[in-house]
Amino acid sequence: MLSRRWIFELGDWLAISLVQMLRAGLAWLVMSVPAAMAAPAVPEASSAAQAIYAAAPQRLLQIRTLVADAGRQTSIGSGFLVAADGLAITNYHVVSQAVLEPRTFRLEYAAADGSHGDVRVLAFDLANDLAIVQLDKDDAAFFSFDEVAMAGRLPQGERLYSMGNPLDLGFTISEGTYNGLVGHSYNERIHFTGALNPGMSGGPTVTGEGFVAGVNVATQRGGQLVSFLVPARFAATLLRRVRDHDTSPDLHAEIARQLATFTSGLYQSFADGGFRPTQVGSYRAPEPAAPWFDCWANTNVDETPKPRASINSTSCRSDTGLFVAADLTTGAIQLSHSYVRTSELNSFQFAAVLTRMSQPRLVGGGPFRKWYTPERCHEDFVGAANEPDHPSLRVIWCAEAYREFDSLYDIALIAVTQDHDREALISRLSLQAVGYDEAISLGRRFIEAVQVSR
Amino acid sequence: MIWVEILTRHREIAARFRIHGSEVYIGRGYDNDVIIDDPHVAAQHLRVFRDETGQLVAEDLGSLNGMFLDSGRSRQTRIVVDGGRPIRIGQTWLRFRETSHAVEPERVVPSERRSVAAVLAILLGLSIPAIECLEVWLTQTSEPRVSSYLSPLLLILAGMIGWVGFWTLLSRIFSGRLRFLSHLLIAMAGVLVFSLYDQVAQFLAFAWTFPAASTYQYVALWSILAVVCFLDLRLVGRARPWLKGILVLLLLAAAIAVQTLQLSEAVSDSGRQFTARRLLPPALRLVPLRDESAFFEDIEKLKLTLDADRVKAAASPVNGGRAP
Repeated sequence: MLSRRWIFELGDWLAISLVQMLRAGLAWLVMSVPAAMAAPAVPEASSAAQAIYAAAPQRLLQIRTLVADAGRQTSIGSGFLVAADGLAITNYHVVSQAVLEPRTFRLEYAAADGSHGDVRVLAFDLANDLAIVQLDKDDAAFFSFDEVAMAGRLPQGERLYSMGNPLDLGFTISEGTYNGLVGHSYNERIHFTGALNPGMSGGPTVTGEGFVAGVNVATQRGGQLVSFLVPARFAATLLRRVRDHDTSPDLHAEIARQLATFTSGLYQSFADGGFRPTQVGSYRAPEPAAPWFDCWANTNVDETPKPRASINSTSCRSDTGLFVAADLTTGAIQLSHSYVRTSELNSFQFAAVLTRMSQPRLVGGGPFRKWYTPERCHEDFVGAANEPDHPSLRVIWCAEAYREFDSLYDIALIAVTQDHDREALISRLSLQAVGYDEAISLGRRFIEAVQVSR
Repeated sequence: MIWVEILTRHREIAARFRIHGSEVYIGRGYDNDVIIDDPHVAAQHLRVFRDETGQLVAEDLGSLNGMFLDSGRSRQTRIVVDGGRPIRIGQTWLRFRETSHAVEPERVVPSERRSVAAVLAILLGLSIPAIECLEVWLTQTSEPRVSSYLSPLLLILAGMIGWVGFWTLLSRIFSGRLRFLSHLLIAMAGVLVFSLYDQVAQFLAFAWTFPAASTYQYVALWSILAVVCFLDLRLVGRARPWLKGILVLLLLAAAIAVQTLQLSEAVSDSGRQFTARRLLPPALRLVPLRDESAFFEDIEKLKLTLDADRVKAAASPVNGGRAP
């Protein structure tokens, strides 16, 4: 069941780092290469792939992040030239270390023809995981964007060719199919059925004519050939902004600004969608109305030994985790409701079950000491005596602030109904990188939507 | 007639001699009335005799190490004996008493109090496991298991045996009596008070929304332990109670300070408060329900704390933070 969930974890990003290389080790390299080679062996298309690949090498890049002092690479990704004066596109997550810690890391490119040199980050688009870098090249061959893809009119099933430097094995091309935009997703992504491997991040995926349709970005962990591309039009927009000098030179501040813009749009959209009531046991509980939530149910009735309190849960998670740094992915929203009832336990024992299930568990997007201030909590009994629909609640609110992003907080809100001693609803709302006032207004709506319906 | 008593360092009587004459010679040699096998005592060290006024007087007979009164440091050649304070020669303490020396009145054998103590011990001994089992039963959410009741009881029993054994041993060494029942009562009362406190703290944390009672439980634990230690120490020996009190208070302060430091460092490492937010049946709530608007006003105030934390974190980049 877990494999069907949309959990983007670090390993899904296609940049490759030393740790991943070590972890994947020989087993990965030796065993996966024949499988990867088998994929493009579709006879009729190989000539198209040959033609595309023949023109590609001078326009394809490998982007390396080096530890400045040691001069050795710590992670690698791909990229491609989009202008004759040396402008290239890659993923933000390929260059993030150098953006965040310019004194520790520096960037270098290596082209297929053996040339290499320094790389400077000019601009990035955090929400779409894109970055534009400047190479010390002029008069270079470059890729153009595909007009049909930019307009979103590619037919489903269209053959696309993805390029990059997987696992540092050398430049490769792999063939796959365009499967439209990913449904129920907050961010616009192309669903590409083809083999993307670590190290291909930031590489181009092109049409049969050799025009860029998207930028390689991630795969579905546990999926087979389920890969994602950033649509080319976002790359084109970012390129236009660089041309118009509409970018900020202070990259560090730009991360904070773009993150705040992204999450404020996200929470605005979440608030606009609002909650729709869903029946959970004898309560009505709020579920997100926005389509970009993935909801799953869970029950403990099939457990052995037979549980003495039955727990039926539904939980919804947004797919909006945004890569900010190698150790910080934030912006996810989570809601869950657990309906707990018992006929075997007494009210104290039942309260002990609820105690275990209602601990705050503020889930940060990264290590606490680097990104967050200490957790602060407040709890109380909340309710109005004269409203029969609204059960009295025990509410716990825990929050922590981001050290570097002013006005962003991680929030966990837990409400436990207090109207029965052997039946309860535990509702959780968890918001990452949210503005405090937005969180209060969402939390308030969430709590108000917890109602009794017997 | 003169009684000569040889005392230990702790002023307990090691030997007692009855001398029929009015004069006693004391030393290491065999020509004395009382022989003392102490290499720091002279062959003929001390003479005790009755002077003209009839008082008993001790006189140094020219020894190397001299004669001292009690723990005094000034050497004496002649001491008027009062039967109370001992005299030291070499490393031996001596006391001289006359037949007319007054003794304390006879005490009543405390037989009745002993039975009360035994009843009390039985009551405490039953209520501790009862409370413990109740606690286990009320938090039992899975299938009931006998071992989950027995293992905490066994733990308490083992701890109690060790603790009481230690103190009875001390009592035996320093006051000569085991005082087992009294030490047992003190230990059981301590355990009972703590488990009652534990229950009350959890109740307060829920019913009054007062989590501090539960968070600072260790302060209560150390305080109870300190009181128990003080009572045990007093039982071992009644001398210098203020010194024992100060010692126990210092240890208590040190223990609380160290644990507070340890907890605050753990909190700053993990960023999480170590507060178990325990829920109890809704009927136990004592505070009135808070109005939703008022609750969210409280939540809004929390923002000030968070922002202050952020400013503080920015000011100390050593704590994992980055310089801007």
